[in-house]
Amino acid sequence: MDMQEQLRKIQEDAKQQIEKITDKAGLDALRLKMLGKKGDLTLLLRSMGQVPAEERPKVGQMINVVREHLTAQMDELDAKIKKMEQEKKLARESIDVTEPREHTAIGCVHPVSLVQDQLCKVFTGMGFDVVEGPEVELDLFNFELLNLPKNHPARDAQDTFYIEDNIVLRTHTSPVQARTMLSRKPPIRIVCPGRVYRADEVDATHSPVFHQMEGLVIDEDVTMADLKGTLDAFAKNLYGDDVTTRFRPSFFPFTEPSAEVDLTCVNCHGKGCRVCKGTGWIEVLGAGMVNPKVLDMCGIDSKKYSGFAFGVGLERIAMLRYGITDLRLFYEGDVRFLSQFRDD
Amino acid sequence: MKVPMQWMKQYTEIPVSAEAFQDAMIMHGTGVEGIEDQNDAVQNVVVGKILTVRKHENSDHMVICDVDVGEAETVQIVTGAPNVHEGDLVPVAKVGAKLPGGITIKKGKLRGVDSCGMCCSGPELGVPEYLYPSVGDKGLLIFHEDYKPGTDVRSILGVDDQIVDFEILANRPDCLSVWGVAREAAATLDKPFNKPEIKVETVPGKMEDFVHIDVQDTDLCPRYCARIVKNVKIGPSPMWMRKALHAAGVRAINNIVDITNYVMLETGHPMHAFDLAKVKDSHIIVRRAYEGEKIVTLDGKERALTPDMLMICDQNNATGIAGVMGGEESEITDETTTVMFEIASFDRTSIRLTTRALGLRTEASGRYERGVCAATCREAADRACQLVNMLGAGEVIEDVYDCYPNPKPEVVVEASVAGINRRIGMQIPGEEMVSILKRLHMDAKLDGDKLTVVAPNYREDIENEADISEEVLRIYGYEHIDSTLLRGQTAPGTRNAHMELTDKVQRILTGKGLYEIRNFSFVSPKIIEKLGLDEGDNRLNLLKVTNPLGEDTSVMRSTLVPSVLGTVALNQNRNNETAMLYEIAPVFDNVGREEGKLPHEMPMLCIGAYGAKVDFYLIRDIVMDMLARFGVKCDVVRGAQPYHHPGRAAELMVNGECIGNVAEVHPDVMAAFELSKRTIIAEVNLEKLAALRTKMTDVRSLPKFPAVTRDIALVMDESVMVGDVLSCIRKAGGAMLESAQMFDIYRGAQLLTGKKSVAFSLVFRNAERTLSDDDVNPVVKKILEACEKNCGAALRL
Repeated sequence: MDMQEQLRKIQEDAKQQIEKITDKAGLDALRLKMLGKKGDLTLLLRSMGQVPAEERPKVGQMINVVREHLTAQMDELDAKIKKMEQEKKLARESIDVTEPREHTAIGCVHPVSLVQDQLCKVFTGMGFDVVEGPEVELDLFNFELLNLPKNHPARDAQDTFYIEDNIVLRTHTSPVQARTMLSRKPPIRIVCPGRVYRADEVDATHSPVFHQMEGLVIDEDVTMADLKGTLDAFAKNLYGDDVTTRFRPSFFPFTEPSAEVDLTCVNCHGKGCRVCKGTGWIEVLGAGMVNPKVLDMCGIDSKKYSGFAFGVGLERIAMLRYGITDLRLFYEGDVRFLSQFRDD
Repeated sequence: MKVPMQWMKQYTEIPVSAEAFQDAMIMHGTGVEGIEDQNDAVQNVVVGKILTVRKHENSDHMVICDVDVGEAETVQIVTGAPNVHEGDLVPVAKVGAKLPGGITIKKGKLRGVDSCGMCCSGPELGVPEYLYPSVGDKGLLIFHEDYKPGTDVRSILGVDDQIVDFEILANRPDCLSVWGVAREAAATLDKPFNKPEIKVETVPGKMEDFVHIDVQDTDLCPRYCARIVKNVKIGPSPMWMRKALHAAGVRAINNIVDITNYVMLETGHPMHAFDLAKVKDSHIIVRRAYEGEKIVTLDGKERALTPDMLMICDQNNATGIAGVMGGEESEITDETTTVMFEIASFDRTSIRLTTRALGLRTEASGRYERGVCAATCREAADRACQLVNMLGAGEVIEDVYDCYPNPKPEVVVEASVAGINRRIGMQIPGEEMVSILKRLHMDAKLDGDKLTVVAPNYREDIENEADISEEVLRIYGYEHIDSTLLRGQTAPGTRNAHMELTDKVQRILTGKGLYEIRNFSFVSPKIIEKLGLDEGDNRLNLLKVTNPLGEDTSVMRSTLVPSVLGTVALNQNRNNETAMLYEIAPVFDNVGREEGKLPHEMPMLCIGAYGAKVDFYLIRDIVMDMLARFGVKCDVVRGAQPYHHPGRAAELMVNGECIGNVAEVHPDVMAAFELSKRTIIAEVNLEKLAALRTKMTDVRSLPKFPAVTRDIALVMDESVMVGDVLSCIRKAGGAMLESAQMFDIYRGAQLLTGKKSVAFSLVFRNAERTLSDDDVNPVVKKILEACEKNCGAALRL
């Protein structure tokens, strides 16, 4: 058999084997058989001495071509096998992605905090500072400076817990307003969220402890229309663009004129439903123009400055927002209730 | 306050539906809770004439009647009433009729005989005895007047009105009266208010011939009016008056008492009627109570009086508490022949304090507390006498007693049209303001921008321009208020530091899987006692609420722990498998507080947690991670509160100061709070955290040279704390030791009892060059020596 014939046979042999090889070991064995020290091609090359000298370059070149060809084929096969093996490995490593694992879910703040945060965001966006004050408060700040002198019948509306004759559990967050007016100069734009206390027995709609947020704006030429504009913006921000406010005349000693403020029912969008008792409106805020007597008592010139104030119950907002019908749920702390909330 | 529509309509037109009326009143300043239609309760009940009465064959007490109900055919009704007589007129509930209590009458069979309706008694129609005379009779209600069969019984019985339930604002006591709300209705609907002309027919006579009145304390009694009626004939008042009183929720009693109630409801002035024959020596003295004086009130209770209470007295004793409750001896009875009407105005603060002190509240005292106008007393007195004339209840004496030493001057408010418009943010012309104010019976004059307003004498709430602006605005209509945006500063608002801090704490804790809870700030002192604090612990010095709802809300909490444990217990009792909860709230520090001074409110964080995966370490690390976020690094030191498990409790120390603690709850305290699962409790003082928190500093550049890591295992006694060993390692490691972490603890057979092997990973690095073994080995040796010496920890071989 001449060299060319041998070469052709080696080539044919290799081709057949390559087609059969499916793993790295087989490939390595072939590589050894062909190109190893005692490999077919190597041996052939060593037997070049038997070839006549003038044919050697030609034969040598032929062998090299075959060798390169085989090497390329085996490299290609190598890549293919690696890929296959990786695919097999990946298949082996497949997991059940639906398998449940014990883990700790992210918690949440209390619904009253959710509402408070939301309101604070809305109002800080409108230039209001958030201010807090003590919960055990002087009668002076809670009542007297707000035009609720001792023994005024309007105090009856706020059944008050007393610590001493002149110290109360604040019945609203308004004392923070009084403190702010006494300590800051206009313009003033603040909201005061916080816990307040009224001597009400606990039931589905009453609680002796609840939360409020009150707002106060004092500047030159602040009007009732500004109050409406501010509360409209607040309502839209909180409940959506189709929500508006309705003002009804009311009475609060610290504001004049005063208003009860209704919002378009968030449940039925004003059509009338169980939540709004068919009226299309829900009572949410109390508001009004700060009584000039209050401004004067708090050291602000009522001839130069005017202002408005408003107050809203945070539980009330949360109840409307989340469809909660029993106030007691807020204070018993059952984790099954708390874990239903999330920021949104 | 319940006001019958027909009563109001005597004084003004209300040409709109009840719903429209309600809406209009609400939108213009008079709250309406609802309107009850008496006609809804009783429907389809008519006068029936009993034509025949037959025996019922299957019953010995029932009879079968044929009744004419004004229709072509008579109806057959079976009844068991004892007083069924042919020819009587009785109320008949026809088939389909409605009776009070939601009862509907259906056609039925009574012991086999068809019955097409029901003959009714007074109580079945919900009509009280005082309203219709024969209601009290046994059995069927029998009409004694002649009515056509088929006539609706509601108008006959006086239950055909609509009753408006007004919600009167605290500043409008004048509206606690029919005239008051009728005036508001007239102003709201822009209709005239027609007050009756008050004229009294009198007979000659002098007050002193009947009574001597001496008002001694005019400061507490600004006005005292009295009028005498002689030859009184006590009897029932007429149907229209009884009906009006009933609709307003007041029992009719007799003509004189009914007049006093009628006048109170109509004018807002509480009245008292004295039987003058029973007033001792015909002498009435209005004075403060004497020190130590006592009175037995109508309810039979003896009450101790104080000198700031005003009394109505005879020459010797107090007989009534002014404006609160009259005396028993001078009550009107059927034998009364001479009556004195008292219409007075009392100081509202005095009445308020008196009712509070005595725990005694009446309709009259409620009105006086809110304010009864002195200026209109005389008018109310005359109105009562006019009603005496109308009812023929007696002869009114010409002379009048009226002690009003300091008549209230009329209130004149000067306002500016521009000022009002500036306040309300609208442009209402001055002329329109004048016309609105006139609708409210205010005498308004316009001179350029100047608006001069004289308020009617009953409007004691009107004082200044702000009040006028509200009056103008509410009648003009709140619905016309514009919606404008605030002008001026536009910088975004800021949150105060405390809120900013707690907000961050909340975000960290919720991210770690905790839920926020909110508890009441007042608790029972007993729940604090359950913590087993040492005597003298500051937390036992509690700030007390003087008028709590009950013992369980009677002190302001000095620690959040009991409330949080209470919430944890609730969750355990409800079989919630796990809960990690926290509360952020102030605790009230009463220590060293002087009277009249506020307590310090210390913001605290308290965590309570339990569950299969919850242990001391989990919560400790959550707290420490949270603190680290504020740049606060703390040392964990053994230390227990009395409510802590003594072996599983730590204090968190920063520069020698305790900022908080973490522990498992003591078994005794678990039992006291009915906790069934091991519970971890942690507290952090947020005030201290706020003081200790630091701003973030510049970041370090990343190392250029590699680190050398050495792992060592040290064998030590169980009692040696890993934290102490780590401190020792770090100290000995010096600058070259970049970090030291524990990564394993081994306890077991290969060690002696009472020993543990703790493995640490030590990382060494030099910022300037690559370290060699020669650099590191001496340091490791130093570390090992230090551990051996200070902690008895030896290298595990």
